[in-house]
Amino acid sequence: MLLSILRFMRGYVRFEASGKYPERFLNITARHGVRLWAVERVNGGFIGCMYRSDYRNIRPLARGAGVVLRVMDKRGLPSFAFKWRGRPGIILGGCAFVLTVFVMSMFIWSVDVVGLEKVSISEMRGILREKGLYVGAFKPALDARRIADEVMIDDPDIGWMAVNIEGSYASVEVKEKAQPPEVNDIETPCNVKAARDGVIISIEGYEGEIITAEGSGVIKGQLLVSGVVEDADGSARLVHAAAKVNARTTHEAVFSVPDEYTVLVETEEYTERRYIDLAGLRIPYVFSSVGSPDSLSREITEAPAPLGVTLPLGKVRERVTALDESSITLDDNSAKELLLCQSELYEAFCLSACTVESRDHSLTHKDGVYTLSVVYTCIEDIAYTDPIGTDENTDLTKYVLPTEDERPSP
Amino acid sequence: MLPPSVSAPCIELSGNREVLIEGSRGVLEYSPETVRINTADMILSVFGRGLDLRCISESALIIDGFVTRLEFTV
Repeated sequence: MLLSILRFMRGYVRFEASGKYPERFLNITARHGVRLWAVERVNGGFIGCMYRSDYRNIRPLARGAGVVLRVMDKRGLPSFAFKWRGRPGIILGGCAFVLTVFVMSMFIWSVDVVGLEKVSISEMRGILREKGLYVGAFKPALDARRIADEVMIDDPDIGWMAVNIEGSYASVEVKEKAQPPEVNDIETPCNVKAARDGVIISIEGYEGEIITAEGSGVIKGQLLVSGVVEDADGSARLVHAAAKVNARTTHEAVFSVPDEYTVLVETEEYTERRYIDLAGLRIPYVFSSVGSPDSLSREITEAPAPLGVTLPLGKVRERVTALDESSITLDDNSAKELLLCQSELYEAFCLSACTVESRDHSLTHKDGVYTLSVVYTCIEDIAYTDPIGTDENTDLTKYVLPTEDERPSP
Repeated sequence: MLPPSVSAPCIELSGNREVLIEGSRGVLEYSPETVRINTADMILSVFGRGLDLRCISESALIIDGFVTRLEFTV
């Protein structure tokens, strides 16, 4: 195969040699270092092949051997170029093609990232871009090992990374770090206090001495379960108090909206711009614009991928829609509907840890502003732990049980 | 392996379809039935049917075809 390619590149001649002593001609060519191949005996001579350059030199020797040479066919790249010498466009096009393939092979055509779980792929592409790896990056300037090492050092979420560059395709394999689980502190002495005002519904005490009773009202910061426990012999010891304290609490939220405001809405006027995306470089070929100063742009990228190989060439269609200011006037119903939507969002995001029992809405309209006040009645766990003796001057030694060595002998 | 002082040709056969001869000094006769090769100390005759010279260089050649017999004339 390789030999055939070399012969094609150099160009060769298929010739017929006829005469009295064709064997003599074979020996002369061999002595002069001329290589013959595909030699076949025919009547009165033989047919064979040799390089074009050798054929020019061998003609005088053939005459000396009494052999007449006749060219049957000229093959190879030089013959092809000679045949098409009158049409330089084809030759130039072929050269341009080879040059394009050579130049394009020096750039990254596509970057594929696999193995991400928590880190988003756009975030990872941004990080890789900062390190120099992106579609259109100059391949000889890339150091795959350095990129992987720098990303692993800079990003604490990445545990392991490998950058493999195969041809013009970069494959990035990532393993994210496994975060250590949170360790629950069950030894530091602490009290359980109330995080909010409320009425206690139930108390499940796991450790410590329960101070309050079900049905009693508590205020924020009030002690619910004490971490100081008195033993049967009258001595006190410190424990890590823990409890689940369900209480009925109230949350207030206020939402407001002006009764008249303007928004930008899409109109029917639109236009389409088109670009060619060449390895990240955008070349526009359809120009247009809309009359409105405000517009909304949507892009669709079509990248051909023959046989699953992403090419660095794509077509981008950008649809630009004109926006127009529109004045909206709210009445009581529409304002309430809008504000209720806001309150539902508040409930979903801010009261996700509570069970909402009831909601009390009140809508007012004053000075051109609709205001919705909502009072939520919720059931929630209000317990939080507060360490005992956070002040370094507090003396805790009297609460700590003596060790075996420190106990007085009976 | 022959000692360097012995200038014998090196002949390699692939079945009876191909003969590689190294140490050739020239082709004495060439026809589809017979190829006679001059080596330093002998003449090697290859007999067969449809014999072609696939490649000829200064000191080696390859014969393709259906080889039926080899003969050495010293």
